[in-house]
Amino acid sequence: MLTTAVLLSTSCNGQIKNAKNLNLKIDGNCETCKKTIETAANKKKVSKLDWNKDTKIASLTYDSSKTSESEILKRVALAGYDNEKFLAPDEAYASLKECCKYDRNRKKTEAKGEVVGNTVDKVEISNTQNISVNQFKVIFDSYSDLKNALVKTDSKLASAKAGELSASILKLEMNKLEMNQHEIWMKVYKDLISKTEKIAKSTIIEDQRKAFMQLSEKMYELIKFANFDFPIYYQHCPMYNDNKGANWLSLENTISNPYYGSQMLSCGKTIETIK
Amino acid sequence: MKCIKSIAFVIIILFSNQFFAQKKVRYDLFVRDTIVNFTGKNVKAFAVNGHIPMPELHFTEGDTAEIYVHNQLSVETSIHWHGLILPNKEDGVPNLTTAPIKPNTTHLYSFPIVQNGTYWYHSHTKLQEQNGLYGAFIIHKREKQEIPEYTIVLSDFTTMKPFEVHRRLHNANDWSAIKKAKIQKGAVQSYGDAIANKSLKTKLGNEWKRMLAMDVSDVYYDKFLTNGKEEDEAKQFKAGNKVRLRVINGSSSTYFWLKYSGGKLNVVASDGMDVEPVAVDRMIIGVSEIYDVIVTIPNDSTAFEFLATSEDRIRSTSLWLGSGIKQMASPLKPLKYFEGMHMMNGMMKMNGNLDDMGMNMSLQQMDMNVVMYPEITGEKKPMKQLDSMGTKYNSNALSNIVTLNYSMLRSQIKTTLPNVPTKELKFVLTGNMNRYVWSINNKTISETDKILIKKGENVRVIIYNNSMMRHPMHLHGHFFRVLNGQGAYSPLKNVLDIMPMETDTIEFAATESGDWFFHCHILYHMMSGMGRIFSYENSPPNPELPDPKKALKKLYKEDKQYHFMINNDFATNGNDGEMMYQNTRWKFQSEWRLGYGNEMGYEAESHFGRYIGKMQWLFPYIGIDWRYRKMGLDKNIENNIFNQANTKNGRSALCIGIQYTLPMLVIADIRFDSDKKLRLQLMREDIPLTKRLRMTLMGNSDFEYMAGLKYYLTKTFSLSSHYDSDMGFGAGITLTY
Repeated sequence: MLTTAVLLSTSCNGQIKNAKNLNLKIDGNCETCKKTIETAANKKKVSKLDWNKDTKIASLTYDSSKTSESEILKRVALAGYDNEKFLAPDEAYASLKECCKYDRNRKKTEAKGEVVGNTVDKVEISNTQNISVNQFKVIFDSYSDLKNALVKTDSKLASAKAGELSASILKLEMNKLEMNQHEIWMKVYKDLISKTEKIAKSTIIEDQRKAFMQLSEKMYELIKFANFDFPIYYQHCPMYNDNKGANWLSLENTISNPYYGSQMLSCGKTIETIK
Repeated sequence: MKCIKSIAFVIIILFSNQFFAQKKVRYDLFVRDTIVNFTGKNVKAFAVNGHIPMPELHFTEGDTAEIYVHNQLSVETSIHWHGLILPNKEDGVPNLTTAPIKPNTTHLYSFPIVQNGTYWYHSHTKLQEQNGLYGAFIIHKREKQEIPEYTIVLSDFTTMKPFEVHRRLHNANDWSAIKKAKIQKGAVQSYGDAIANKSLKTKLGNEWKRMLAMDVSDVYYDKFLTNGKEEDEAKQFKAGNKVRLRVINGSSSTYFWLKYSGGKLNVVASDGMDVEPVAVDRMIIGVSEIYDVIVTIPNDSTAFEFLATSEDRIRSTSLWLGSGIKQMASPLKPLKYFEGMHMMNGMMKMNGNLDDMGMNMSLQQMDMNVVMYPEITGEKKPMKQLDSMGTKYNSNALSNIVTLNYSMLRSQIKTTLPNVPTKELKFVLTGNMNRYVWSINNKTISETDKILIKKGENVRVIIYNNSMMRHPMHLHGHFFRVLNGQGAYSPLKNVLDIMPMETDTIEFAATESGDWFFHCHILYHMMSGMGRIFSYENSPPNPELPDPKKALKKLYKEDKQYHFMINNDFATNGNDGEMMYQNTRWKFQSEWRLGYGNEMGYEAESHFGRYIGKMQWLFPYIGIDWRYRKMGLDKNIENNIFNQANTKNGRSALCIGIQYTLPMLVIADIRFDSDKKLRLQLMREDIPLTKRLRMTLMGNSDFEYMAGLKYYLTKTFSLSSHYDSDMGFGAGITLTY
């Protein structure tokens, strides 16, 4: 009786020797996810995984002399699926099909990068100095996104990012600004909003870039008063605007030219570091 | 009285100086045999104080190092302090600067620490570095550093004996490509792979130009290690921490790509010297190079991956920073080998020189290999067409991923040299993949004299890489400035990675004395003779080397080493075999065909000759030819193509001939023997049909011909079958050593 039971259990596991069984949680949505997860995990005679899309629980059998739980879960993560041990690389998650883009609850969002709305509690406990820095930071972050869209020569994305920028400009609470910041804000505010909206409304990359050149000049004046705790690089492309040149601001010292995109991505140089 | 007082005062000052500035730091290193097991197979290795890597040594600038090396091996050893400025006799190159440390003896290295930064130390004896003798050497600044730090020693591990690795490299054995192909399809780049990839024309073009398969690294490694582990963990770091990673590439022949899943890598120092911080997404670290990078831990309850992937992208090793669920970095996708091959075909001229098509390449800015990187040039075949050649290979222009190159390094201090006369040298890095010969200006270390330099002058070296591989060139005992467009702030380094077709200029002030090694830090290239010795004129005698001439001879012996190879096919129609005993220039070669019984006959042919020219396509030889067969008289005499009678039954003749490698790697062999017979033969060995299948074709003017197939089972055994005009059809098993 006992022997038959043993025989049965081995035959159930197919040809996997030294079999170890366990249940694991793997995030995912649908049938397509199931297929991708299982293909990533399964290896002939070494590992077999069966994932349930409703419970998100996978039952795993593997040959403990040949592989390990970590090795298998790593492959699942590389296929784009967060699990008990590993978070998928962002690139792998991004390349999943739309229907497979599960909510990434396991992944902690970065404390600093999030929009102000979500972190109200935090804003209240920090001091005034920090709030004003955060306010300019939000604007600068949107500006960076816009710049990156132009680097990619993506007019649609640029228009969307300009929309976000104008929203954050309008949201800024002037009464929480420092005295000198308040002054500069009053000076550049109108130009910031008009250039930004110009970019948002346009779909022609050339027009967007022209407006971005004017926007960048005003941003430069503003950022000088931002008191960020990291450096900002003021960069210059000598060729744009009929060889009169144009400038932009960047978080990185490396050049990614927003005026020509991939045609001349690394053309330009840093002319000032704002600390 | 007054006088005495002031003397006493002076004495006190001297004492206190010694007391504060001259802190002695002593380490004892016990070098012993050990057994390691990373793959399920026990492998002999060397360890220091029971560790691989060797222990992390810490000093503060101004200390005096006293390091006792106790050699408990059965062979001699040495330790070289990589990147350190120290007296010549402490440099640790056996037979050049320091006496070898004999078995069961102790050697004391003692030198003042006059710099700060990240360095490393390793054995400079034979291939011992590959056996485990490498470790970190950290020198702290006098003022305390406020951010936490962590040292990463990267290395490569093979279950093969390093001696075996070296021997096989010299015999153009492609077993390591077969092993790689197990993990990554297409690594052998066989004709089968080429057809599957619709790149047959590319493969043919490649062989037409007499090149073997493309490879970005020659050795197959079973594991890559971070601090001696496949995966290392540093759980102590918390969200918001900025951590200084001291990254040392202590591998023998592996370049690593570095990435971090928690954000950018902020490069703050290179080869121990501070540079202006520069943020990048990824960077390559050459063999023996060092970078200090600062990374940020973005949030808690997550561990972030610092991923180091070998340049051939076969395997990787990681460090997890922080604790909790592990956030993986996206891995590097497999190389597009045939794109690389296509690129090489374009660059390779028929005479074996490389042609950069007027791009003036330098400082890692244009990486021809980008054509093989899916993340930069896309997954599929067509490359982004750009107007100018200037950006075609510039990965920073081709994508949003920022890759570090040398032009981005800027020193924090002025590095201009004193205004004195400059001695200018030109080095062309040369090599021959097929025979694994590596040299400078087509000469190995032992084939050249030392380069004399004068204390007080500046030395400038213009290096051009005319070989098909990249080389990390390392200078002992000095820092050189890399002329990279940063003017007075050109960065100081002691290792320069130079890619094929690049021209870089380095310069240094000659301020020391004695002999200093300048060599490629890929262990197997160095051991093949890729280096030079800078020797200061009128240096005082080195007490470590009482007989410098004898010592130098010993040093030269290393790259003159002969490598042995033999194989024999035990087939149904006889034994078919070959052996070779060769070094950089000379080769002794013997081939035999031994039938079973007198009627089938016995035949052996031996050559001894010398390879000529940079590409070593020409091989004149003298030899001896012997055969015996018992057969009917009517079959005894045969005529050759030139209508010369030829006896096959019994013969022994001296011969003289020339072999020449033709396009498609066909070896043409013309010889004339003491019986005044002329023979012309064409032969092509080991045509890679598929991953494991090789074909050989041969025909000659004696109407002898042969066709054979060989299928690799393991590195020693293969199945073989061939048809031979003398012996007929046969099948068997080939053994290769």
